[in-house]
Amino acid sequence: VTYKWLSYTLGVHVNQAKQMLYDYVERKRRENSGAQLHVTYLVAGNLLQNGHVCHKVAVVREDKLEAMKSKLSTIASVHVYSIHKALLKDSSPLYNTDYDIVKANLQHCSKFSAIHCSAAVPRTLPEAPRAPAPAQSPPRQRDPDAASTVNGHGPRAARPPPQQHKGIMGMFAAKAAAKAQDTAKEAKAEARETPGVSAASSKPLTKNSIMNNFFGKAAMNKLKANSVPEQPKEEKEVVKPSVAVAEAESSPNTVAEKPGKKAESARIQQKDKKSKTKRADRSDDEEERDPENIKKKRKRIKQLVSDSSDEEDVPPSPTPEEERAPSPAPEPALKTELEPASTEVSAGGRKRKRKRVLKSKMFIDEEEGCMGKAG
Amino acid sequence: MFSEQAAPTAQGLLAPPSGEPPTFPRVAVEGYSDLSQPFRLGERSFSRQYAHVYAVRLAGMRPRLERRARGRWGNDIALRRLSELQEGEKCCVVGTLFKAMQLQPSILQEISEEHNLVPQPPLPKYIQPSDELMLEDELQRIKLEGAIDVQRLVTGTIVAVYGCEQEDGRFLVEDHCLADLPPPLPWSGPSSDRFVLLASGLGLGSMSGEALLSTQLLVDVVTGQLGAEGEQSCAAHITRVILAGNLLSQNTQSRDTINKAKYLTKKTQAASVEAVKMLDEILLQLCTSVPVDVMPGEFDPTNYTLPQQPLHRCMLPLASAYATLRLVTNPYQASLDGVRFLGTSGQNISDIFKYSSMDDYLEILEWTLLAGHISPTAPDTLGCYPFYKSDPFILTECPHIYFCGNAPRFQSKLLQGKEGQRVLLVTVPDFSATQTACLVNLRDLSCQPITFSSFGADSED
Repeated sequence: VTYKWLSYTLGVHVNQAKQMLYDYVERKRRENSGAQLHVTYLVAGNLLQNGHVCHKVAVVREDKLEAMKSKLSTIASVHVYSIHKALLKDSSPLYNTDYDIVKANLQHCSKFSAIHCSAAVPRTLPEAPRAPAPAQSPPRQRDPDAASTVNGHGPRAARPPPQQHKGIMGMFAAKAAAKAQDTAKEAKAEARETPGVSAASSKPLTKNSIMNNFFGKAAMNKLKANSVPEQPKEEKEVVKPSVAVAEAESSPNTVAEKPGKKAESARIQQKDKKSKTKRADRSDDEEERDPENIKKKRKRIKQLVSDSSDEEDVPPSPTPEEERAPSPAPEPALKTELEPASTEVSAGGRKRKRKRVLKSKMFIDEEEGCMGKAG
Repeated sequence: MFSEQAAPTAQGLLAPPSGEPPTFPRVAVEGYSDLSQPFRLGERSFSRQYAHVYAVRLAGMRPRLERRARGRWGNDIALRRLSELQEGEKCCVVGTLFKAMQLQPSILQEISEEHNLVPQPPLPKYIQPSDELMLEDELQRIKLEGAIDVQRLVTGTIVAVYGCEQEDGRFLVEDHCLADLPPPLPWSGPSSDRFVLLASGLGLGSMSGEALLSTQLLVDVVTGQLGAEGEQSCAAHITRVILAGNLLSQNTQSRDTINKAKYLTKKTQAASVEAVKMLDEILLQLCTSVPVDVMPGEFDPTNYTLPQQPLHRCMLPLASAYATLRLVTNPYQASLDGVRFLGTSGQNISDIFKYSSMDDYLEILEWTLLAGHISPTAPDTLGCYPFYKSDPFILTECPHIYFCGNAPRFQSKLLQGKEGQRVLLVTVPDFSATQTACLVNLRDLSCQPITFSSFGADSED
């Protein structure tokens, strides 16, 4: 248990967490309950080294604490770093704990810190790019960026956590938009539209897929909400938008966004439903699919660390977008599009993986795509 | 710096939970301007010869050198071009140095079939007693000998030599001089303590648990999570973090997969992918709390030739969302709060180290400042873009803080110039090896190293 872990888990200021740890140690020791607690401290101070005064920050075990304190000429701070039952051989468990908890809270990692920087606000990307007619450009949406730029999804934009994604996605969306225009095939009418999403353009999506992977499901959700009725491939298409959204939400990054997303997803879903006619264009949905695919891709990539097979990534990746709907057809089309898009993705390794995953679907997609194009 | 201010409340956190702990606002950054425009390449065309770089360099630095020569050897000395030299006449010539080194790795030697040589393994230093110096100007070259330290100087430096030509065609040097410090910049530094953290060589991608924890400790100190209240309030005075290169470690550079069959490498991804992801997370933590400037280094995914262009934003999706992240070129120049920073990721210094007898990174850093050029060896032994209009590496103004990254250890020196220049020279150590970063105080141009350590199998420091 490190102070940072405690701070995030309990939602308290880091200094309070440190004090809590100290208090706990003191109390337990006083009680003499018998359980041996090992404590590590953080010591910081000035040290004369190599002829100049150097500021040293060190994590030390309790038994070395006094020795370290005596070595420092001036002590700047001492506090409890962590408590554990077993004696640690090295500090990698400390690092791992902190790493995990920070990873789980990446978006607000400075919330409990003692310093607040007013300049550090996530960028909001210009919504503009694209948004060609909402009906038309659905496919593009894939980008998570599109989500941000989505016209229809104003509310979504409102949500702060998505901001970050949006910003980046917006950038991609812009690119995607340009690309989307180019790719007629993508034109699938994303009925789902969420026109704004489509604007994002599928192309950028693919590029964004890498980013998407980072953004996680949250971003995907947005996109999905917009457009992807078709994304079914991975998961449950049937899942209701809200459910899907929820799942998407489950992605580690944005818990808070869930409610927002759900709402939006629901809204989007409705839109999509309206545009069912456009379904034919599913191929255009690529964009929509893109976000999903991207999400899928992202998920995949995210999970790459945990499991090697790409396939596995696909199913588990609950692309919220899926909720959209049942449009399996568009999905395949998107997939196809996604594939090529994915190839564009810069990460070579990732590209390879993505291709692999999608390859299986490629066949269906291609067919659909062709059909969609023909249609 | 930190310690004195922080000492009073050092033990404050060894107590039961108190009331609402204070939160310190980060000191706002004012007056930041990125001046590394000359280092950004627009459209790049590599169809030009590199000779143009030397030509513009000489043309750019000639006036300064001539002024210096006049100041040193008298106003009435004869300044001649090599083509106008007359035997036995004492004169001063300004030109580019060229050092002919036997051990210098040459591509022609490598591919030469008849010699059947194996490529030369990289040596730490390529100098040899038999090296020779030659002076070149726009049209001719001449061999130098005399009071000139052949071992110390490197190719590409613009010097002014004073001496006379001998019968055998060599130039006997009596004295020589470099361009010396560039003209000073007015000082308008901040009045209160402002710190800038300089770190380099994070070396992600191959680190052990210890080194990773040290990196995490660094991030925690800067973001204010570590330390007692006093230290946190001091950390709030850190206005900027500059990461000077080598964010990824050398291990991520392995390109074995290129030679292997595709089916073997299908599932593998480049080691740099994981490392970049880790970098993104670390940068995200930093960016939420402090403005960060990220310079690429030797092992980072950007172009190889100097000036290295900034890392692409799409590699760092999480962190790029924040306006506090700035991806900048290497070399990097910026003005922060009235203080001019100039620095590189260390490739120029380490290159000079290889081809000169100077051993100390700080000494080499000072020497480049005196030579008036960031990287004299640039087109010769260090990759460089074929400039033809102007050489952006010429130092036209004297920065207040001149740093280089990835040095073997931390060193710093405050250099005072004759025209009132005050430069703080800092060699930023490689973090992955030394777990040391530098804190520079902008108010008085002082520098303090900050070391992080954790406990591992070895118990002491």
